[in-house]
Amino acid sequence: MNPAVQAILFYVFAFGALLSALGVVALRNPVSCALSLASCLAFVAAVFFGAGATFLGIAQLIIYAGAILVLILFIVMMLNVKDEHPAAGNWLYCVLGVLAAGVLAGTLSSAALRLPGSTGGRCPVHVLLEHADDLCPVQGSAQAQQPQTTAPTEYGGMLPPISMRDGESDVSLLGKNLFTHYNLSIVVLSFALLAGAVGAVAVGRKLRRD
Amino acid sequence: MTPLSHYLIFSALLFSIGLGGAIMRRNVLVVLMCLELMLTGANVALVAFSRAQGLEGIPVYDAQVLALFVMAIAAAEVAVGLSLIVAMFRARRGVESTSLTSLKD
Repeated sequence: MNPAVQAILFYVFAFGALLSALGVVALRNPVSCALSLASCLAFVAAVFFGAGATFLGIAQLIIYAGAILVLILFIVMMLNVKDEHPAAGNWLYCVLGVLAAGVLAGTLSSAALRLPGSTGGRCPVHVLLEHADDLCPVQGSAQAQQPQTTAPTEYGGMLPPISMRDGESDVSLLGKNLFTHYNLSIVVLSFALLAGAVGAVAVGRKLRRD
Repeated sequence: MTPLSHYLIFSALLFSIGLGGAIMRRNVLVVLMCLELMLTGANVALVAFSRAQGLEGIPVYDAQVLALFVMAIAAAEVAVGLSLIVAMFRARRGVESTSLTSLKD
């Protein structure tokens, strides 16, 4: 795909994901929150597709939107949860939450902007405008197609493009890695899932009154 | 193409929104959804680094395997968490975190 189109799609999907994430926090009705979460996770899956992680994008759609969201919606409708009304003394938690979120976002963003090789922690829009020549589809897209031969020591620049060899795909490489290097881990993970299912049944059963 | 820092800023914002929601909201179901948001933000950072560390155009798949594990653990966490919420609803007739004050009173 054209690099410029890819970059624009990333910003569109990221903006949509952040907007629906704010919806999860701000909406009163839990059903609206769950649907907002579904759209946020779908946008993040689109970002995964754009980053070349196709299998993770599909897994995100199936596991989150297909399984987890349906479970959450089912529980919300089973419990008949009412809308949340602001109570007295809740503003303290609002101030605390906004403060913690803002401090964390500022710290992480400034750390991300000061990556080795970056352009000195300036506004991302300015950095993007400087790279506008690389983004232009008419010229300057030739050097972006060159595959990188060494791991980057400087993370500030553009991400290297993905180029698969013949007969290899994202799914086959991920599966090869998963079932060779991480074979034991996936067995342990299956036990964790089994323990989760057994625990859910054990906690959710009706208690006898004796 | 997009620089790595923009992916990281996106992931940081997603994580912070989830953290703020987990602190602010009183409905335990919405707190669980905000936890999902935080896990997804971490996954975005993992995918971006797997792409940035890649050699000869092939991403490093260790990070994507880790992101897959995070998704599986999130599924188990939601199953246990929702059954805990159902048990809490049975005991307290509500899912507000402010109703959990037995130790205080």
